[in-house]
Amino acid sequence: MAAVIDAGERVKEVNIEGLALLKIVKHCHDCLPQMVTGSLLGLVENGVLEVTHAFAFPETRNRDKNMENDSDDVAGGLEGHEYQLEMMRMLREVNVDNNCVGWYQSMYLGIYSTTALLENQFSYQTDLSANAIVVLYDPMQTAHGNLTLKCYRLTDACLEYKKQGKNTYIDPNNIFEPVPVKLTNPGLVRALLADMVVTDGSASGDLLYNVTTGGASLTVNADTTFDRLDLSTNPYLEKHLEYLCTWVDELAAEQQKFQYYTRQLNQRGGNRNNNNNNNKKEEVDDSEGWASSSAPKRMESLLVSNQIRSYCNQMDKFAGGSLGKLFLTSGLHKNEKAAAK
Amino acid sequence: MASQTAFSSSGSIPALLLEDDPEVVSHLVVHPLVLLHVLDHHTRRQETDGRVIGTLLGRRDGDKIEVTNCFAVPHAERGDEVAIGKDFNKQMLALYNRTNRKETVVGWYASAALSEGKGLIADTSSLIHEFYAGESDEGDPVHLVVDTRMQTDSIAIRAFRSTPVTVLGEPLANLFHEVRLSLQSTEPETICLNQMTKSHDNNNSTTKQKEDLALQVSMEKLYSLLDTALQYVDSVVEGKVNPDPEVGRQIADTLACVPRVRPEVFDRLFNDSLQDLLMVTYLSNITRTQLAVAEKLNASLGV
Repeated sequence: MAAVIDAGERVKEVNIEGLALLKIVKHCHDCLPQMVTGSLLGLVENGVLEVTHAFAFPETRNRDKNMENDSDDVAGGLEGHEYQLEMMRMLREVNVDNNCVGWYQSMYLGIYSTTALLENQFSYQTDLSANAIVVLYDPMQTAHGNLTLKCYRLTDACLEYKKQGKNTYIDPNNIFEPVPVKLTNPGLVRALLADMVVTDGSASGDLLYNVTTGGASLTVNADTTFDRLDLSTNPYLEKHLEYLCTWVDELAAEQQKFQYYTRQLNQRGGNRNNNNNNNKKEEVDDSEGWASSSAPKRMESLLVSNQIRSYCNQMDKFAGGSLGKLFLTSGLHKNEKAAAK
Repeated sequence: MASQTAFSSSGSIPALLLEDDPEVVSHLVVHPLVLLHVLDHHTRRQETDGRVIGTLLGRRDGDKIEVTNCFAVPHAERGDEVAIGKDFNKQMLALYNRTNRKETVVGWYASAALSEGKGLIADTSSLIHEFYAGESDEGDPVHLVVDTRMQTDSIAIRAFRSTPVTVLGEPLANLFHEVRLSLQSTEPETICLNQMTKSHDNNNSTTKQKEDLALQVSMEKLYSLLDTALQYVDSVVEGKVNPDPEVGRQIADTLACVPRVRPEVFDRLFNDSLQDLLMVTYLSNITRTQLAVAEKLNASLGV
């Protein structure tokens, strides 16, 4: 990576600029249903990580023949890492912050706790900077006026664990730690937004406005107050339950692997027991057994349980909100009933 | 080469525009991302530069152009001469094409020059426009100007297209016509914009917002809107306000949108949803309990 940030202190907060956010959002939505990744540029100041720019990574090139048109130029043929360096070099020329501070990924209905993400983030945090972060944007959950944007990094405990290549237990809550995200904008952009965004619903509902000449500004209706009152719950919950089932199945499969392996270990230990009845020997053997390369990876199941927990939380939150809305509706209808009588 | 701007001073449609010709671009749709990018680029300009330029990417559909993306291009202006980062433009375009193949070059943007007495379009604009005519697929690029001079209270945005003026076969000047411009944002973009303005209003707010509070705000607003409608209808009935058939029709349409649910049907719906939600909550709780047990077992394993 071209630039390494001074890793003095851990950042406490992430400020993301509107421009970077819109770039992320655009990229993630353009490429649906594919899940995509990209790079974040910015700088660290006073313990706050400022993300000021973002650019997309190209999809891994499928080696088909319909790309002859760019075979002659240099940039068209660049692969992952080179693409990043090239892009950053180009952006440097137009004075964009040239520090890579992390990466972003689109997530599907809150699935984030995966091995791939863990490995990727680990390499960012060890190779690039201790302050590297991953920003997760959920294009599916961003609806009804709610923006789903999360920011994570690995905890120190997890970094240590990964560095030593251990295969022991680590508290699933302690793998990823969330970092608070804040939206910020420079002065000019705020001035523009104040002009163009209508949030009080005074303009009519459609999004398209004609410009008026003579310097008057454009407006866009960004009022999402009423989208929140949507009552439908089923598609969302159905998907969640479906995924929850898959995850639980996966966890069960992992557990089975463990059981099988422990039984094997016990058998071996049992044989030795018959020979010299040494309990201590067995315990030593036990921990050695888990460190051996043939043992199943414990991180897998830990990640899965982390994922299930976050799913449960998401569902609880959603169900809580829906219950509130439901009783609200019933209250409205009670009034109507009373009025009818 | 001289350039000239043509505005109509009163109406919203420029006077010289040929609205009927489907080949001529008459309408430009811009996404907020582009405007934010221009402003960001402008603040990051070299100290000596008066203005910044860049390439607009998007789609062309008949007489309508939708600008969805853009990137900055370095350039230098000295007097009547202008140098554009031609290789930079080509390289950047290739890089952008890797992530999105559907977007093509549709024109260029500039922030307004700060130098004294000049309008939104400088003399060198013609030269840059000519360059982009060669770059864009259709050969008819559009020009977006974001007025960053801050001479008025607002940041004005204008769009132009250009036609050459020839006298006796000699190219004499370029005439920039103003094009109808509108702003469009997709649903997620709208949500983002809304969040942004909210976070400006309240500097301490993070992405975690209190759901129930938001619901209360929504309901209060709904009530206030209903009150306004009710007051209007009442005053019309009492004869205080002259009835407007258009408003009346719209109110009737809105009322027609509300489904009429009979109480017993509603009760059934209510109970069904309630049971679903309770069931889901129960399931998630039970899963969580099981998870805690599984974790305990896992922790004790192989220690």
